[in-house]
Amino acid sequence: MTPSAYAPAPQRRFNVGERVRVKQADPPGHRRTPAYVRGKEGAIERVCGAFPNPEELAYGFDGEPKRVLYRVRFHQHHVWPGYEGAPHDVIELEIYEHWLEAA
Amino acid sequence: MNRNPADIGGETMGEMSGPIDTVDHGMKFWEKQANALRNTLTGSRVVRLDELRRAAEELGSRYYALAYFERTTEALRNLLLEKGVFTQDALERKMDEVRRRYDA
Amino acid sequence: MTQEHAHPHPEDEGPPSEHEIMSRAMQELLEEKGLITGEQVRRRMELFEQEFPQRGSRVVAHAWTDPAFRKRLLEDGKAACAEWGLDLEADRLIAVENTPQVHNVVVCTLCSCYPRALLGMPPTWYKSENYRRRVVREPRAVLKEFGTVLPESVAIRVHDSNADMRYVVVPLRPAGTEGWTEEQLASILTRDTLVGVALPRA
Repeated sequence: MTPSAYAPAPQRRFNVGERVRVKQADPPGHRRTPAYVRGKEGAIERVCGAFPNPEELAYGFDGEPKRVLYRVRFHQHHVWPGYEGAPHDVIELEIYEHWLEAA
Repeated sequence: MNRNPADIGGETMGEMSGPIDTVDHGMKFWEKQANALRNTLTGSRVVRLDELRRAAEELGSRYYALAYFERTTEALRNLLLEKGVFTQDALERKMDEVRRRYDA
Repeated sequence: MTQEHAHPHPEDEGPPSEHEIMSRAMQELLEEKGLITGEQVRRRMELFEQEFPQRGSRVVAHAWTDPAFRKRLLEDGKAACAEWGLDLEADRLIAVENTPQVHNVVVCTLCSCYPRALLGMPPTWYKSENYRRRVVREPRAVLKEFGTVLPESVAIRVHDSNADMRYVVVPLRPAGTEGWTEEQLASILTRDTLVGVALPRA
């Protein structure tokens, strides 16, 4: 089987183009959702696939069940108050499904 | 307020932020070896990359006091101690031995 | 075996730091316990020094000359590289293309995630706190510090490599490179152009 950047994610909540909001939460422990996008709204840019949860792997657990990882696109002026670049500038991050809500 | 010292994206306003040194200063030999060590360990699943990242984050305020490879070295040490791969004692003894070889 | 580990290298003048000693000590303990071998570490060093850093420019130069490969690379970077004979190990590579309307730039704000098996070790500036702090929030100002200025008509697309994926930028092929060989093209695809802080110059 050819290696791929992506993994399958047959059971998933969101699809490309859907609008999502990142949860506004500040749990302790290892998280891969940067603070600067928490509470922000964006759109699914691509589905990366289901992977073991890094929040669990970080403590020696197996990270199962896998969680679906998405790339989410945000407009910069929605992320930063007073953003000084162009209005069409964007930022894209990888966000795990459990950090997302439908917007 | 963010407890993770590594989560610094967008923190441009504080006194800690500033111009970027755009020159690539490369790596010293020991840093290349440390990088290869880290890579070997994650490749063989002795440690996981996620564990190393978490260990670095757990350095707390020390995170900012250390240069990149100092940070990764201390994170690795803390993780290997946590996993009981060696004891603090054994590490100190080995460090003394290595130090003596340099002095010789 | 221990002699080789402790042998100071000529390029590292001066006494070793505590962290250097710590790192070497840990490596020796791990070898003594049979968890790793010195040969494994040496082999990784070789790969990082000699093999990985050359790959990115060759892959993108090939994408510039071969439209089918380019399409495949943009669809699935890891698969395209594997099909071409390059094993990117753990790197889940996503290739993002620059167009006349969009310029891509990559960072890992949380640590230093980088497609190491494609580009080698990240430069010190990529791992620096100020790059990680600032490029997500003021990408145009940061690009300017690297000498790269883009008009407002070009959108900047920042990629924060914050979880499992890794990124490489496919720059716009500059005018004046018509008829160039892949080797010539690779020579202008510097590492900085593949991370997105510089533009290739013919």
